[in-house]
Amino acid sequence: MPSVCGRNSSPFDRSDNVDDVNRSDGDSTSQKRRLGGDPVAMEVRQISTQIKWKSPRRCVNSSPKTSAIGTEKDSMEGIVNLQKSQKTILTNDLTAKPNWNPIDTEQVSAVKEALHVSTAPSTVVCREDEQRRVLEFCKVCIEEEKAGSLYVCGCPGTGKSLSMEKVKQQVVDWAKEAGFHPPYVLSLNCTSLTNTSEIFSKIIGENQPKKKLNGSTSPLQQLQKLCSQQQQSSCSKMMLIIADELDYLITKDRAVIHDLFLLTTLPFSRFVLIGVANAIDLADRFLPRLQSLNCKPMVVTFRAYSKDQILRILQERLTVLPYIVFQPLALELCARKVAAASGDMRKALSVCRSALEMLEAEFRESTGNMNSISQEKGSLDKQTATGPEILEVQGNNVVRVDHMAVALSKTFKSPIVETIQSLPKHQQIILCSAVKFFRGGKKDTTVGELNKSYIDICKSVLIPPVGTLEFLGMCRVLNDQGLFKLGQSREEKFKRVTLKVDESDITFALQGIRFFRACLQ
Amino acid sequence: GHHLTQIRGGIFPAKTLSPKIPNPTFLSLNPISLLPLQNPKLIHSPLQGKTKKSMADTTPRKLKQSLKPNPMPKNSHLSLSPGTPLQPLTPCPVRRSTRLNSASISVDLTTPQKPIEYIEKSVIYNTPKATKIEVAPTKTPTRKREKESQLYTADVTFSPVLTPDQSEFKKRKGEGERRIATRANAKNGKKRVYYKKVVYDGGEFEVGDDVYVKRREDSSSDNEDPEVEECRVCFKVGESVMIECDDCLNGFHLKCLKPPLKAVPEGDWICGFCEARKLGKVVELPQPPEGKKLVRTLREKLLSSDLWAVHIESLWKEVDGTYWFRGQWYLIPEETAAGRQPHNLKRELYLTNDFADIEMESILRHCFVTSPKDFSKANNGGDDVFLCEYKYDIMWHSFKRLADIDNAEEENEDSDSDDEDWNTPKNADSGTDEDMEYEEENATNSKSRPPSANELAANSRKGRFFGLHKIGTKKIPEHVRCHKQTELEKAKATLLLATLPKSQPCRNREMDEITAFIKGAICDDQCLGRCLYIHGVPGTGKTMSVLAVMRSLRSEVDSGRTKPYCFVEVNGLKLASPENIYRVIYEALTGHRVNWKKALHLLNERFSDGKKIGKDDDKPCILLIDELDLLVTRNQSVLYNILDWPTKPYSKLIVIGIANTMDLPEKLLPRISSRLGIQRLCFGPYNHQQLQEIISCRLKGIDAFEKQAIEFASRKVAAISGDARRALEICRRAAEIADYRLKKLTITPNSASAVKGLVGMAEVEAAIQEMFQAPHIQVMKSCSKLSKIFLTAMVHELYKTGMGETTFEKLAVTVSCFCASNGETFPGWDTLLKVGCKLGECRIILCESGARHRLQKLQLNFPSDDVAFALKDSKEIPWLAKYL
Repeated sequence: MPSVCGRNSSPFDRSDNVDDVNRSDGDSTSQKRRLGGDPVAMEVRQISTQIKWKSPRRCVNSSPKTSAIGTEKDSMEGIVNLQKSQKTILTNDLTAKPNWNPIDTEQVSAVKEALHVSTAPSTVVCREDEQRRVLEFCKVCIEEEKAGSLYVCGCPGTGKSLSMEKVKQQVVDWAKEAGFHPPYVLSLNCTSLTNTSEIFSKIIGENQPKKKLNGSTSPLQQLQKLCSQQQQSSCSKMMLIIADELDYLITKDRAVIHDLFLLTTLPFSRFVLIGVANAIDLADRFLPRLQSLNCKPMVVTFRAYSKDQILRILQERLTVLPYIVFQPLALELCARKVAAASGDMRKALSVCRSALEMLEAEFRESTGNMNSISQEKGSLDKQTATGPEILEVQGNNVVRVDHMAVALSKTFKSPIVETIQSLPKHQQIILCSAVKFFRGGKKDTTVGELNKSYIDICKSVLIPPVGTLEFLGMCRVLNDQGLFKLGQSREEKFKRVTLKVDESDITFALQGIRFFRACLQ
Repeated sequence: GHHLTQIRGGIFPAKTLSPKIPNPTFLSLNPISLLPLQNPKLIHSPLQGKTKKSMADTTPRKLKQSLKPNPMPKNSHLSLSPGTPLQPLTPCPVRRSTRLNSASISVDLTTPQKPIEYIEKSVIYNTPKATKIEVAPTKTPTRKREKESQLYTADVTFSPVLTPDQSEFKKRKGEGERRIATRANAKNGKKRVYYKKVVYDGGEFEVGDDVYVKRREDSSSDNEDPEVEECRVCFKVGESVMIECDDCLNGFHLKCLKPPLKAVPEGDWICGFCEARKLGKVVELPQPPEGKKLVRTLREKLLSSDLWAVHIESLWKEVDGTYWFRGQWYLIPEETAAGRQPHNLKRELYLTNDFADIEMESILRHCFVTSPKDFSKANNGGDDVFLCEYKYDIMWHSFKRLADIDNAEEENEDSDSDDEDWNTPKNADSGTDEDMEYEEENATNSKSRPPSANELAANSRKGRFFGLHKIGTKKIPEHVRCHKQTELEKAKATLLLATLPKSQPCRNREMDEITAFIKGAICDDQCLGRCLYIHGVPGTGKTMSVLAVMRSLRSEVDSGRTKPYCFVEVNGLKLASPENIYRVIYEALTGHRVNWKKALHLLNERFSDGKKIGKDDDKPCILLIDELDLLVTRNQSVLYNILDWPTKPYSKLIVIGIANTMDLPEKLLPRISSRLGIQRLCFGPYNHQQLQEIISCRLKGIDAFEKQAIEFASRKVAAISGDARRALEICRRAAEIADYRLKKLTITPNSASAVKGLVGMAEVEAAIQEMFQAPHIQVMKSCSKLSKIFLTAMVHELYKTGMGETTFEKLAVTVSCFCASNGETFPGWDTLLKVGCKLGECRIILCESGARHRLQKLQLNFPSDDVAFALKDSKEIPWLAKYL
C-alpha cells in the first residue's frame, strides 16, 4: 500500500509542482497567491541563499540614541509605509523579492498566519496519492450508485481531516462536471456528538430535511428501512458521510459503529461512508462482523510525514509570502527533528512559529536600545537596490538555524534535570532516598517504606525529617511532576511507588550538591 | 422681616412671624400663589406678593436680581397642564460646571379634582456675591429654632417641645391642599387625613418628592446650611463663576484655580488636588482662614452620612394635628454592605426598601434624586442633585436596577386615586415583612420595628417616639469607620490569601511570557487561535499571574491600546461534570443559559463553522481553564473539542489551561496533545529568596515582622514545598500569635510598656510547629494513661521482635508485664481491647479489620520514633521512658 507520495524532490525543483497547483485548484486562496508570483519566489530564494551569511556590520556601528518607544513606533510606521511603496516599485522593476522586516507587524502577522494550523493551504502537498485514492473511491461509488465504506487512518497531524475537506470539495465539483447528481455531503466530528447514536438522527436529518422525524421509530430503524427498501427515483441522491474521529463512536457493545458500517451493506443503501481515526486497526478490532460479511471497509493510511515532506509543506506554505523569512537550513533542521520525533505537522508549524517569535523578541530587544539603528535600517531597506547593504540586513533578519534550534529544544527536550534541580530540598532528599532504595534491584516499594528510608537519610545528615502527612504531600507533588508514579491504594501508606525517571538522571542532576553526592555514593 | 433677612438668607422670617401672626399671613398667601397662572405675566404678581410677605427670605436677593435684566422668572415656569401626573416635574438641575443664574425651579401641579390649582414655588437665589445657585425652598426646623433663639432670646414659645395645638396652628398648609383620601383609623376612632401635597413651613412637599431629613438633634454640624458654597481656595463666596470638581465635588472659583480658567470647560473636570491625589501625592487642601469655620452644605453632610435623604411615599395629618409622612430611605454607597465601590459615582444614592414614618418637622428641604438619564442631562444644576440607579434591599443586601420598578410605580400612582391602593407600598421587593407591617401600622405605630443603633434620631418632641425610630436604623457598617488598625492587624489583613497584593514579584518572566502569548494572539487584526499550557506545583502563582496579566490587558483595552476581547474563566473544580464546561462557556459568552448539549452545538457552530450571530461574536475570546486535568473524561472528548476549536480558521479562540501535573499532555491521547501545541509554561516552586521577597512585598510599609522571622519562615517552606500560600499562612499565624500575646500582656498593665509589637522568630517557630507538626503527636500526647501504656508496649514489642506486626495477645502480655513491674494495676483484657479499638479508630494503630479478639493483628500507623517522641516526657507516667 504505497500511501506516501513518492516525490522526494528537493525544494528547488518545485516549479512544475507549483504549476500543478495553479491549474488544479484556484478556489480559495487566489488572494494569497496574488502576494507573490511563483517565478519571483524562485529567484529570490536563490538570491537569498547566496547572500545570507554576511555579517551585520551596520548594527554594531550605529550610535544607540534611544528615544521613547511610542515615538519610535510612530516613526517606524511611517518608514514602513514608505518602504512598502518603495517595495512595490522594486518588485516591479527588479523582480528581486525584498527581504522581510521583522519589525513590520503586518509582515509578521502575515507570516504567522501562513504558519497557523487553521490556514488551509491551497493544495495539500505530499498527500496527492492518498487524496487521489479516496477521490477515486468516491467517484466509483457515485458512478455506480452503490454504497461503500472507507476507513482513513493515520497519526495525528498528518493531514487527514484537511485532505478529507479537499476531497469533499472535489467530489462535489466532479459530480457537477460529470453530470451526476451531486451527493449530499455530511461531514461531522464525532467528538461533538452528545450521544453516539445521535449520528443517525444527523444522517437522517441531512437525508430528508423536510420530513419530520417519526416519533415511533428510532432514527436508526428509519435509516435501515430506508436502505433495505427500493426507493423512488426522487431520492436517489447519493450521500457522502465523512465521520472524523470515528473511534468516539465505539461504545461498549460497539453497536453504533457496527450499525453505521452495516448501513452501507444494505441492498439499497446510498451511503458512502468515510471514517477517519488514528488507530490503524480499528476496522479489524472493532468490526469483526463486517469482515465475516466480507464487506470490510477499504483502508487508506496516512503515514507520518517524512523529513522531506515536512520541508516541502513548510516551503509551500511560505511561498505565498513575497519575502524570505526562514533560512532554508533552519527549515530543514526543523523538518528533520520533527520527522524524527513524530512526523506531526502541527508540531512543525508551531516550532516554526516559536522560532519566529524568538527572532521577534530578539529584534524587540535590540530596537529597545538601538532605536536609531532600526530607523537607519528602515531607510536602508528603502534603498535595497543599492549594493551590498541589503545583504547584511538580510542576514540579520531571517530566522536562522540557531533560533530554530532553541525552539526545537524548547519543544522536544525533557526538562527533567532542571526540574530536579529546582525542587525543594526535602523533595530532592526523597528522590535521593528512592534512588538508594532501588539500587538493590527492587522495582517498586510502598510509601511507608520510602518514608523510612527518607528518615534514615535525614537522620544521617542531622536534618529534621518532616512528618508523615507532609511526606505524603511531597510524594504527590513528585507524582504530578512526573518523577514518581504513585499507585492506587486505599491506605496512603501502602501506595506503590515507582521511579519514572532514570536513576542516572537523578544522580546527574544532584551531583552538583556535595551532600547528595556523598549520599549517592 | 427685612432687617432679619439682612442677617442671613431669611428662613427665619417665616418662622418668626408664625407664632405672632400665625395664620393670617399664610392663609392669605397661599391662595394667591395658587391662582391659575396661564398667563405668564401673572407670574410676577403672586410671586412678589409672596416674597414680600411670607417668603421674605428671598426678597433681598430677588430684588438684587431684579436690578439686572434677568429673564429668569419667566423662563422658570413650566407650563401648566391640567392632569399632570403627580410626579412633580423635577427641576432639571444641571449637575456641574456653571452654577450660573440659569437654573430655576418651579413645581406645577394640577390634579383632576381641581384643575386650575396651581402651586408655584420657585426660589431663585441670585446673590450678588456668588453665581452659584442653591435651591432651598424648605426651612429647617432646627435652624429655625436655633436662629430664633439667637435673635429673640425671649421667644421661648418656639421651643422644641410643642404642644400639638401649637404646632398645628403653626404648621400651615395652604388652602390649596387637596384632600386626597381619608382613612378611618379603627383604633383611634378618628381620622387620619392623607394628602398628596402639603405646604409645610413654606416648603411644599408632595408624594414622590425627595427631601433631606435631619438625623440628630444634637448634631452640631447641623446648624449651618450655607445656601452658597464657598470656594475651596479663597473661602469666600464671591461673585465669580464657580466650578465643581467631578471627583471631590468641591467648588472652586475659576479665578482661584492655578492656572485660572477663563471659561467652564466642556466635559468632566477634576481639580488639581484630586489629580495630585490620584498620582499618589499627599495633598493638603488649603485651610480656612483663622476663625472661619468650614461650612458644609447639606449635600456634603448627606454624603458624610450626617443627614439622610428620603423619598416621600405618603403624607398625612395625624389626629393630633401633626403632619407626618412616610418615607423610603436613600442610602449612600458607604452605608451598604458592599461599601463604596469604584463604579459608584460621587453623587450616587441607593433607594432602599426600608420605610419609616417621619414627622414633617425633620424635613430640611428638597433634594432631587434623579435617574441616571436625567442626571446626565442635568449638567447645570444645583448642588442637591443626586442620582439613583439601584434599589438596595437592606435585608438581603442585594441591588436591583430601578428603571422598571419605577415605571410600574408611576403608572400605579397615576391611575388610582383610591386610597387603599394609594397607600400600599409599591416596593417590588418581596422578602421583607414590609407589606404586612404596613397594614398593622396604624394600630401599632409605636412598635413597628425594634429601634436599633441610633436613638438620637430627629424628633421634634423629645420622648415621643413614633415612626421616627427608623431614622436610627441606618447603622453604618463597621468597615466604613472601623477603628484604627494596629500594625499587626494590618499585617494579618495583608497576609490573608484572599488579599490581592499590589504587585506580584518573582513571576515577571512568566508574566511577560503570558502577556506576549496573549498579545501575539489578539493584538493584530487577525486572531489566530492558540493554546498555552501552564503547569506547576500548587501555590506557585499560576492563576494569579494569568489574572494579573488579564487585569493589565483589561486596562489596556480601556485605554484603547488593545482591541476588546472577551475573557472567560472556568475552574474545572467548580464544574459539576466536565461536560458542563460548554454550558459555562456559552453562558459567559452570550448570557444565555442552555443545557450543555445545546451549548456544545452552539459553540461548535460559533467556533468551528465560523457562524457569528451577535456582534460581540467577532471579538477574540480568551478562555482560561483552571485545573485543566479535571476535564479529562474517559474518552477525553471534552478536552478534544475545546482544544480543537483554536485550530479552526475563524474561531479566534485562545485557550489557556492551568494544571498541576507537568506531564498532562503526555498522558492525553496523542491527537489531543497534538492540538494542545507546544506552548508550555512551567511555574517552578519558589526558592527561599523569592518567598522572602513575596512576603516582604506584601508587608511593605507595615512594621510588624523582624527580618529574620520572615527569612526563617521562607526558608522553612522553601525546603519542603516552595508553596507561597503556606509561607503566607505561616506568617499570618505568627502575627496572630504575636497579637494574642500582645493583648494578653496589655491586660496586665505593668508589663504593657515593655512590649514590642514585632513578630519574631519565636512566633514563627510556633506557627511552623502548628502547621508542620503532624496532629498525631498531639493526639498521642493527650491520650489516656492506658493508651500511652498500650502504645509504649507496641513500640517495645517492635524493638524486641523487629517485626512491624504484632497480635493483641502478645501485646496484652507485655502490658501486664509493664504494669506489674511498675506498680500499676492491670486493667483487664476487656478494657485493653477497648483501648486498642479506640486507638485504631484514631488511626494511631492499624487494626486488622473485622476481628476483635485475642489474635487480632496490630500495627503502628506512625514511625515508632514519633511515638517515642510523643511519650518520652509524659509527666503522669515517667517510667514509660525507659521502655522507649
